[in-house]
Formats: sequence, structure tokens, C-alpha cells
Amino acid sequence: MNAILVLARKESGELLLSARGLIWLLAVSGALSAFALLLVSDTELSLLDNAQVVYDMIGIITALGALLALVVGTDALAGERERGSFMPLLLAPVSRGGILFGKLSGVTVAWAVMYALSLPYLWAVGSTGQNMVDGMIVLLVLGTPVVLAFGFFGLGLGCWASSTKNALLTGTVSLVLSASPLLLGPSLRQSAIGKIFDAINPFSAAINAFDAVIVDSQSMAMQAHHVLIACAWLLAAVGFAHFGFRRMYR
Amino acid sequence: MGIRKFILAACISLWGSGALAGPLTIDIRPSAINPASAQMGDNLKFHTVIRNDGSGAIDGLIAWISLVQIDRGKEQPVDLEDWSAHKAIAKTSLRPGEIIETDWPIRLIQAGHYRVVVSAATRSGNVLISSPFADFSVLRKPVVESRRVLPVAGGLPLAIILFMYWRRRKRMRPALQQKH
Repeated sequence: MNAILVLARKESGELLLSARGLIWLLAVSGALSAFALLLVSDTELSLLDNAQVVYDMIGIITALGALLALVVGTDALAGERERGSFMPLLLAPVSRGGILFGKLSGVTVAWAVMYALSLPYLWAVGSTGQNMVDGMIVLLVLGTPVVLAFGFFGLGLGCWASSTKNALLTGTVSLVLSASPLLLGPSLRQSAIGKIFDAINPFSAAINAFDAVIVDSQSMAMQAHHVLIACAWLLAAVGFAHFGFRRMYR
Repeated sequence: MGIRKFILAACISLWGSGALAGPLTIDIRPSAINPASAQMGDNLKFHTVIRNDGSGAIDGLIAWISLVQIDRGKEQPVDLEDWSAHKAIAKTSLRPGEIIETDWPIRLIQAGHYRVVVSAATRSGNVLISSPFADFSVLRKPVVESRRVLPVAGGLPLAIILFMYWRRRKRMRPALQQKH
């Protein structure tokens, strides 16, 4: 089997089959279950709130996915370095680009598993209302570049930072800052600084598209500019990880 | 003397209102096809008849629908934006004896007890003309259904735990076999 595929399979297996990876998935599943149960217990929801419920759930899935990808990404190379397995990895018969590709694929698989895990939750809370399928599609189209961008950013941080702990801390702070539009009300985001932040923040691009498609029933085609922002950040994160990795093995 | 002036002023006021509001009447009734027991998501219709009973034409007539929630502790006017796309009608002139029949569709968004009323204003009149109230109740329909959420919310974490347990047993089996 191709050495790159072997590496990608190992990275994926660590998430799907190792006890640590399964505990992460369990934690994510527990968080989504808790939110779904909170919604069930709310008797004041109106018919309109159904789209809002799907929107909130998708926002939480994206935030949790980005956190999971960040942790997996940060651990991918920085963890190897701290466990002393980075040098043997460099000596393996696989190109440097192949190693990076294998590590990136680990992050991608983490998100794919998380996305698959989230679909039953979206069905459970959103199947009685509007735009559930559109919500699943917009989560795939917008959530994927945002989550992967954070995963690849974490991978790059792991290369640049002096320790995994520092990389994880920096990554988490960046994620909280970026995901702040989930918590901030629209009025705060209408200020000049809020508008600038919204225009460049990939998380804002994603949640604005979620809102437009799920709550306002706009078409996906109208979200092209949001997709562009998210993809631009994804490319920047790949570049950051690439240069970080080059710096690490030199 | 003061009381006489007050009674006189009140009479003039009442006479004035009646004169201006009198020719126009609004009658409202629920449509026959409305469900007997309406719940969230259903559609209701209310039929109004606006009639000019006066001898002169009424110009610049505008009629609109209003909805109020009357549940104890939740008394409030309802923003009709999500409830109805048909919120008002206008008529340039209503001749004597002429009537306007209108159906007002409403999509039921939230559970509760409500009163609907259709009001009208004219270009020259200085009082509001209203229909009687039409009351209706909306039964709650679960927006998030527990029979769907509970199996997923409980089942998925449980499935992951079982998978973890199965993986652990599988990993431990060769060691246990060697021990025995």
C-alpha cells in the first residue's frame, strides 16, 4: 500500500479506534445530546423557532468540529515531537509532503466522522420544520472549510510553537475569538469594528451563510462570497501548516 | 353648571363619533373550513364584510387585521409578519350600500388564546371603526419531538460506549487467552 495512505489510515485509525479518539467522539456526542435534550424540554418554542433550532445546532456542530480538528491537528505533529516519534517518522520511506498530507487527512477524517455523527442530531431536532436538508448541505459546504482551516491551523501551530500546550492554548484562544459571533448579538456586530471582523472572519462567514440558508431560506448560490472567505482561510491554514512543517524538520 | 357643561360636551362628542363611524360596519366570522381544534402550523381564515350603510360615498378606506394574545401573563399584540401575508386592504371609494368581502388567512405560529379584529379608517373620518372580536385557540404542537430526540440523544453516546467496550474486550482477549 502507498506509504502516504498507510500514514493517513494510521491517523484516521487513531481517532476511530483508539480509546483517546473515541473519548473525544463520546464527549462531542454528549455535548450534542445535552443540547438536543435542552431543546426538547423547552415548551415555549414557536413554529418559527424550528429553523432557529437547526441553525443553533449547526453552529454548535461547527464550533465543536473546529475544536476537535484543532486538538487533532495540534497533536498530529507537536504530539509526535513530544512523544519522541517525530524523528523516526521522518526516517520512514515517505516524502515530507506525504507526511504532511497524511497528517492533514487525519484532521479531515476527524471532521468527516464528526459530520456523520451530527446528522442524526440534525434529523432529530429539525425534521419537523423547514430547511433541515439545506442545513445539512450548508454545514458540509461552509462548515468543512472552516473546521479544516482550524485543524490545519492547529497543525501549523504545533510546528511553530515550543510545546503542544502552547500551541493548544493559542489555537483555543483563536477559536474562541473567531467563534465569538455565535455568542454576540447582532447589534454588537453592527459596529464598524464588528463589521470588519465579520467581513474577514471565516466563522462569521459560515454562520452568516447558515442564517441566510436555514432561517431566511436563501439559496446556496447566494452564499458564494461566504464560501470564498472560508476557502481563502483554508488555503492560508494549509500554507501555514506547510511552512511550519518545513521549519520543523529543518 | 359644571355638570351640565360636561354632559353637553359628552353628548356632542358621542353624536360626532356616531355620525362619522355610523355608515361603515364591519362584520367578521371564522371560515367554515377552519379546523375545529386548530394547532400550530394549521391555517385559519376569517371572513369580513365591510358595508357602507350611509347615504354618501366613503373615500380612502383602509382596513387591516390585528391579532392579540390574551393568555394570562402573556397579554400582547402579535406581530403578524410571520402569521399572515395578507394584512390590509384598501379601497379608493365605497359607494352607499356597497360591500367589500375579504378573506384573511392566518398561519398559526404559536400556541395560545387569541382575539382577531379587523379595523378600518377612512380619509375623512376621525374615529376608528372595528369589527367585533373573533376568538380562537391554538394547541401546542411539539417543535422538537421528544420521540425523535430521545433515541438519538441517548442512543449515540451509548453506541460509542459499547463500541469502546467491545474494542477493549477485543484488545484484551489475546492477553487473557495467554494467561489461561
